[in-house]
Amino acid sequence: MKLLTFTVFAALVACGSCTDKTEKTEGAGSSVTHVTEPSDAIDQKLMVALSQAKNFHHKAKVYMSDGDTAAAIASVREILSLRFPPNAPEAEDVRNDARALLARLLVGQGQLDEAMNVVKEGLGSSRESFFTANLYTVKGEIHEARAQQLDATDKTKATEERHAAIESFDASNKIDKKLQDQLLEQK
Amino acid sequence: MATKRDDDDILTGSIPAPEDEATPAERAHAKTFADLVDKTLAGRTPPAMSADDRALLEVATVIRAAAGNAELGAAKRSSLVEGALRQAIGGKAQPSGDVTPIAKARAKRAPWIVAGSSLAVAAAAVVLWLGAPRKVHVIDHAPAALQDNWKSRPADPLIGPISRDHAGDASARLDTIFADRLDGYRELRMRGGH
Repeated sequence: MKLLTFTVFAALVACGSCTDKTEKTEGAGSSVTHVTEPSDAIDQKLMVALSQAKNFHHKAKVYMSDGDTAAAIASVREILSLRFPPNAPEAEDVRNDARALLARLLVGQGQLDEAMNVVKEGLGSSRESFFTANLYTVKGEIHEARAQQLDATDKTKATEERHAAIESFDASNKIDKKLQDQLLEQK
Repeated sequence: MATKRDDDDILTGSIPAPEDEATPAERAHAKTFADLVDKTLAGRTPPAMSADDRALLEVATVIRAAAGNAELGAAKRSSLVEGALRQAIGGKAQPSGDVTPIAKARAKRAPWIVAGSSLAVAAAAVVLWLGAPRKVHVIDHAPAALQDNWKSRPADPLIGPISRDHAGDASARLDTIFADRLDGYRELRMRGGH
């Protein structure tokens, strides 16, 4: 009986001691070869994040078709909090597209200041892309909406907002043209 | 006084007077019966005997037991003592006739102990084998540069300029990006990368 107890104990100790090993290696027995991929390779984390963003967009579309704008806004905001792999360019593009949509929804709700904050957040640290160009377009639309609100009360400020809208549309066009030229050169 | 004695008929046969001398047949019969009693007391009861002898033997056994001088054999006595001791320490009581000596019980459990130990050792060996570090050869440098469609990259070439009319089609654009990256990811996986 003592022998049996000792043997079982030894087996448990052996099992416990090999736990760390299995965490550092994979599986058992056989020999495998892993090729490390460059850090810019498409990986599972990126695909999962894109898939989640896709689902939130579809969810938002359903809410919008139901007229539930508040729920649609909440769903689009979820995209902004998704965790993408660090330095993945797709992350910035997807977030900026979501910001553009979110800002438009907020404009529809009359929340112009909040919409402007969302847009500025996207423009703050982004590289130039068709998505940032789209953000400038949305920014111009927000300025337009502000101008319409100010028309009745403050003509001067309304004019300033219209000028700001034109500047935003110009900035959008400028980025679009620059990027299209670059793409043509690459081809 | 009886002239004819029938020792095989103890119930209806004539009863000899106390002073009568035993006949040779009676002596022979007495000796045979005495041997039978001795063997019975020694635990070697013959498998077959006459009905009269069996009745006499039972009477003799009862008389001996009533006298209080009956002693158990050494093995039987040892079994009873061990049974009592086992019951005293919380073990399951066994009928006295079925008491198994402790040494014998250990002998019976020995195969199970050996089998259990072997099983445990085998289980430990399997666990150790499963947990053994696998030889992982890591090639730090990818043999060739990744194709463009296997890389995480800006979506501009795929999406193109976003017109105001389609500014709200973020969902469709993301579907396009996802499908394109999924193609690249699958190709990358199929080629053996991780």
